[in-house]
Amino acid sequence: MNGTVAAISARALLGRRRFLLLLPLPVLLVGLAALAHAAQPDPTDWGGPVLAGLGFGVVLPMIALLVGTAVLGAEIDDGTIVHLLATPVARRDIVLAKLLVAAGITAAVSAVPMYLTGLIVAGGRLGLGLALASVLGSAAYSAVFLTLSVLTRRPVLIGLLYVLIWEGLLGNLLAGSRLLSIQQYTLTIAAKAGDTTLLPDKVSLPVALVMTAVFLIGGTVLAIERLRSFRLTGETA
Amino acid sequence: MNPTLDAGPAAAPTTTANTVELRGVSRWYGNVVAVNDVTMTLRQGVTGLLGPNGAGKTTLLHMMAGFLSPSQGEVTVAGQPAWRNPEIYRTLGLVADREAVYGFLTAWQFVLASARLHKLPDPAGSARQALAQMELTDVAQRRIETFSKGMRQRTRVAAALVHQPSVLLLDEPFNGMDPRQRMHMMALLHRRAEAGATVLFSSHILAEVEQVSGTVQVIVAGRLAASGDYRSIRRLMTHRPHVFAIRSSDDRRLAVALLAEPAVAGVDVGPAGLTVRASDYGTFARALPRIALREGVRVRQVTPSDESLESVFAYLVAGPSGVAGPNGGSA
Amino acid sequence: MAELTAGAGGVRPAGRTPGGVIHDIGYQRYTGPRLGRSRVVLALFGHSLRTAYGLGRTAKAKVFPGILVVLGVAIAVVAVAIRTQTGEVEVNYLQFVDTMSVPLLLFLAVIAPELVCRDLRSRVLPLYFSRPLRRSDYALAKLAATLSAAFLLLAGPLLLMLLGGLFAQTGGAHGAWHEITDFLGGLGYAALTAIVWGAFALPLAALTSRRAIAAVVIAIGFVVTTPVVGVLMSLGGTTARQLASLANPVSLVSGLEAWIYRTDVQDIGGFGPVYLLVAVALVAVSTAVLLLRYRKVAA
Repeated sequence: MNGTVAAISARALLGRRRFLLLLPLPVLLVGLAALAHAAQPDPTDWGGPVLAGLGFGVVLPMIALLVGTAVLGAEIDDGTIVHLLATPVARRDIVLAKLLVAAGITAAVSAVPMYLTGLIVAGGRLGLGLALASVLGSAAYSAVFLTLSVLTRRPVLIGLLYVLIWEGLLGNLLAGSRLLSIQQYTLTIAAKAGDTTLLPDKVSLPVALVMTAVFLIGGTVLAIERLRSFRLTGETA
Repeated sequence: MNPTLDAGPAAAPTTTANTVELRGVSRWYGNVVAVNDVTMTLRQGVTGLLGPNGAGKTTLLHMMAGFLSPSQGEVTVAGQPAWRNPEIYRTLGLVADREAVYGFLTAWQFVLASARLHKLPDPAGSARQALAQMELTDVAQRRIETFSKGMRQRTRVAAALVHQPSVLLLDEPFNGMDPRQRMHMMALLHRRAEAGATVLFSSHILAEVEQVSGTVQVIVAGRLAASGDYRSIRRLMTHRPHVFAIRSSDDRRLAVALLAEPAVAGVDVGPAGLTVRASDYGTFARALPRIALREGVRVRQVTPSDESLESVFAYLVAGPSGVAGPNGGSA
Repeated sequence: MAELTAGAGGVRPAGRTPGGVIHDIGYQRYTGPRLGRSRVVLALFGHSLRTAYGLGRTAKAKVFPGILVVLGVAIAVVAVAIRTQTGEVEVNYLQFVDTMSVPLLLFLAVIAPELVCRDLRSRVLPLYFSRPLRRSDYALAKLAATLSAAFLLLAGPLLLMLLGGLFAQTGGAHGAWHEITDFLGGLGYAALTAIVWGAFALPLAALTSRRAIAAVVIAIGFVVTTPVVGVLMSLGGTTARQLASLANPVSLVSGLEAWIYRTDVQDIGGFGPVYLLVAVALVAVSTAVLLLRYRKVAA
């Protein structure tokens, strides 16, 4: 972990106007929950679509995608990563700093509206459960997207395919792919921690926790190792 | 307490700490060979890495800076391998050729961050000095995205100098600088070299290299074509005749006499004087006064007309690479 | 090589007065008629449409549109084959457009960024705007190209289905006429879909200069409102259920289909005109956002 790297990354993400692009998603989530609750206080019918469909299905992964690829992928794309790499700072510290910033921002932007939504839907216990799942999910997603940024030149596209097709489409169809889907882990953790039946928990809790850790640690280790062998390609054009 | 950036002999590091060595280095991408069996050693002083675009200068610089691994051969800085070794950056500074900067930071914030990332004991003081060196103190509080191209370049150089590296690599550093800034930068590079640093900069603009250093590494199509002082290189290319412009009191008479000399390959008589092509520099230099004296001709002006780097370079690029210069000459 | 020796370095002939002369090499200024603004806009439209399908670009740019074109044609061919074999219409013109919804979304998510993001990234807009091309012209030309490209993706295979249908149908002249009207109906639905989806997608792409991010934003735009529709439907009450589909561009167009063509793909009660109004408003607002974006962009 390196404070200067973290400060630069945080400033790069937060200081720009395009950060505002992220805000409609949490607002939509909370707004929809409020609207639904006002129309029908019993969440049995609409709780699932709001929390699982919108919240863990779209809002969390998309925010994580945009933030997680911007924190490292954009720097590699622009070439500004050289200013960080041409220093004696350990690659591990660089990756950890960026991971912290990405996961932190994603968690903040997702956990807060998730908590509020849970509060609206069924009260504080659910809110806390959702927030906890959001935080853990943010960490795992950020690690994955950070690693993609180091491994490939098109991390956003591959991340998008992962979220939409692997987690979205196939996750609903193939039982096997559920074991490798961060979305499923977050749903299970939220269901158990928030003590609710609104969310599908297709993966068992121990598996969810272990796999989240695997994605988080495995992704980070892989990113660090690949960053050590970071190559600047020869001529620029 | 703060060592100044123009340190005297007391701060000069040992020779090995600033030696960059390449041994049999090659780099290829599939079928394309970017760098072909280059061996060179860089020591204290300013060296120009010269070559046309696409010759492999940037590839070579990136390998020296540890941002590219050689497909074959070894690259070492101060005896340590450059690849996968972040410790070399304690004494190595790189100014890459891409214009990438953190536009949203001010110049001060950027150089200060660089100082902190280099783990300096007094980041603020070093940053202030580096900015003063590059004459950026007045604009230090402005965001880099508002800077002109030349100012951005200077900011990047300041960030690369902030830890007083003993090896400084610059990729086309004079890009976008106006003549005054260029002179200032050249003076800076010379001061760094005198303080004990190894400075290597790449360029395809011959005038720059000529002015900054007489020492040159010429790379053409991935191969090291020549190393050393460019005037000496020129002399080594005995295949090419040396060309002199001579003005005298009786050109035609001198021309006739010179043609009899075996060291002379050809003479052109023109309105402004003679153009003499000599195949052997040394012999001709000794023969000319003797001949002039014998013929009673007063020689008014002798100008070697192709000693410039341009003709050396053009010959190396265009010719069949028949240069007999040695590989691996030290700077 | 001999020329080099004379030219390199020092010797200059003495005594030449400095001066200059412009040589006559036959260069002439163009003084003829110049085509006006409308031709510029047309040229931009044509160029953008070709870019969308990768024409005039490298082979790599043709891969993705090519796959989708082939996919569309394949579905049409299969539909025609089934019809000739069994005499039954398994996939009619309207259903074809619905079947192509995912490919069309992918198509828009890829070409909309191609059309607008590259110009933003390489900052060539000053080159455009120093011609007799207004900012609104640029925006509208790009929009027209997007909508046309999307429409063509659907219209081509539909035409194939028409041809197959004309051969396969058994009603003689009357049957042929029936076929043609069905086809025109399908074409209208294709146009509707292309217009609403395309107008929604393009301003989203123009928000950023990075193509990958623009694709994500477009994907979010379509995907995020799908659960919203589900939620609104489950809130109970017939009205809510019938109006829920307004929230998502895909279901919005489906609702319009149900109203205009009187199919039962969705239940929208008597709210057909509302759907039309919302669709028109969506297109209008999106176009306004696009125009506003290009009025503000630095040139």
